[in-house]
Amino acid sequence: MSGAGDGAPRTTAARLAGIVGALGLVLAAAGAAALFVGSAAVTPASVLAVLTGQETAEAVARVVVLDLRLPRIAVAALAGGALAVAGVGFQALTRNPLAEPSVLGVSSGAAFGVVTGQLFGLGLTVLQAFGLTALAFAGAFIAGGAVYLIASTAAGLPVHTLLLAGVIVGIFFSSAITVLISLVDTNRLGGVIHWLLGNVAPIPAGPLLVFAGLTAAGVALVASQARRLNLLALGEEAALQLGVDAEALKRRIFAGAALLTAAVVAFAGPIGFVGLIVPHALRMLLGPDNRVLVPAAALGGGVFLLAADTLARSVVAPAEVSVGVITAFCGAPVFIALLRSRAAMVGRAEPCLTARRAKHGDSPSGARLQP
Amino acid sequence: MTPLVGFLTAALLLATPLAGAALTLTDLTGRTVTLPAMPQRIISLVPGATEILFAIGAQDRLVGVTDFCDYPPEARRKPSVGGMLAPSLETMVALRPDLVVATPSGNREETVAQLERLRIPVYLVNPASVADVLRMMEGLGAVTGRRETARQTAQGLRLRIKAVAERVAARPRPRVLYVLWPDPLIVPARGAVVTELIALAGGESVTAGAGEGYPRYSLEAAVAQAPEVILLARHSVAVGPVSLEKWDRLTSLAAIRSGRLHAVDGDLFHRQGARIAEALEALARLIHPGAFPRAATR
Repeated sequence: MSGAGDGAPRTTAARLAGIVGALGLVLAAAGAAALFVGSAAVTPASVLAVLTGQETAEAVARVVVLDLRLPRIAVAALAGGALAVAGVGFQALTRNPLAEPSVLGVSSGAAFGVVTGQLFGLGLTVLQAFGLTALAFAGAFIAGGAVYLIASTAAGLPVHTLLLAGVIVGIFFSSAITVLISLVDTNRLGGVIHWLLGNVAPIPAGPLLVFAGLTAAGVALVASQARRLNLLALGEEAALQLGVDAEALKRRIFAGAALLTAAVVAFAGPIGFVGLIVPHALRMLLGPDNRVLVPAAALGGGVFLLAADTLARSVVAPAEVSVGVITAFCGAPVFIALLRSRAAMVGRAEPCLTARRAKHGDSPSGARLQP
Repeated sequence: MTPLVGFLTAALLLATPLAGAALTLTDLTGRTVTLPAMPQRIISLVPGATEILFAIGAQDRLVGVTDFCDYPPEARRKPSVGGMLAPSLETMVALRPDLVVATPSGNREETVAQLERLRIPVYLVNPASVADVLRMMEGLGAVTGRRETARQTAQGLRLRIKAVAERVAARPRPRVLYVLWPDPLIVPARGAVVTELIALAGGESVTAGAGEGYPRYSLEAAVAQAPEVILLARHSVAVGPVSLEKWDRLTSLAAIRSGRLHAVDGDLFHRQGARIAEALEALARLIHPGAFPRAATR
């Protein structure tokens, strides 16, 4: 454990309050700054006039700021936070810093569910949004379960095997999506492909509330288990001795992380790598304590995706880049760096994730990455 | 002008709907579009509609277009709102449109839904036949208060189309393979406007029964159809040249042996707009060169 100072750690509560406060301020500042950025030529003065509710604010400025930029900023902040917390959850669950919704194939599973729903004409009304999220959750659940079944061996979840299983499940679901796409009417093809790249778009107030509720539920579920996740990091045996029901814990974390992934995929599309970049950066800054990491990721993920989306909508204005493209560009190098640095491997001491004991005399080599 | 005539004229002018009157229209997909007044600021997300708005002289009303609206050249001077798939909503709102022309084939449903949420009326066009294109022209004429010009322009196109059809009617119909995209091979089939144009130009599209719209097709099947004329669409200069040499190797085909492999301007055929008669004439010249001695059919 590091980051909490040496010797007697300061009370987590005070430290947590400080970190959450600071990140909250950064997020608020990023959100406020993003209100002034966009392809429409709205002067900063008019943005301020709209925000302060002045009568003089032009109708155009009001629509751009309140109906387009504000909801989009909210979606970006929510989606980023959800993905980052899902990343923390999957990393704690697998004790593998490379585990992340898109790497584990969970995003692809969720995307398959959503594309299926879109083929049946589900959109983003409040009711349909629930349907899409349910389909996404089913897809995420199946993908995650498949990865677990493929990767779990007598010796637990070896890092390499887990990643390969994630990649292969991801490829499988991508292929399944391709099959669905080839059945789509060509006129709707562009729309589906655009969605698959991952885009943050302004959504109406009703569905936005649904999204916020689902995100809050998922974050709360993961955050409520943070202390137990810290114990799980010591290894399954140790956690069991300390009274943690590891299996139940893993089920809850998986459900929470899958729900978060599903919600983001349903409302914004499969945006990758946020769950890898943000937790990794925060661990370097704040240390590995999940009690701090989960709320920090919820805010920090929002900051990251908000910045990426603001870039996406201004870099080639008036056209827009898909934010998923930007996160992938940022994420791939981070992934490679993590893969190369053996020091980053968590859980080297004990790669087993299942309660089954490793065979006697087996060195847990599966957890090491051979360069 | 006697005072009476002057008075009558004034009365007539007052009786005609002014720009301030509400307007209820049915768009090309059957939706009812209600506008508070004759639209003065139109954004077109459809290159074909942009061409038509220029052709009927309504370009002054056009305040925004897509990156793909490159014809007529003056269209390039209009402010762009981005691509067809992901135009910038912000840019559109900032142009203060009172109408957006969009299409279900090429724009996303999400874009239309978002515009409607912002209470910007959307007029959808989705031409699936030559008759639809002419209807679209008349519809856009009604939207812009240029009904008469649109009617005359459409009539002119109708006459040109009829002239071509009559000229080739008595001739044997060569088997035509039209290639929309070379790899994967995509061809026009049932219900595609290009299929109808080939028939009007006196050809027989070998892929007319291949499915609906624009399906993927196997090269083998295309070769087995023994096309006598092969047309390869070139889509804007940016996409690069069509793979003529790839087809040239298929020397067993009658079309290749007789040198009847042609590259055509894809935009002309797939952008259903004001150049539809021009597209038909170009097609007929390629299919029946003998019917169109050097002089153009103007």
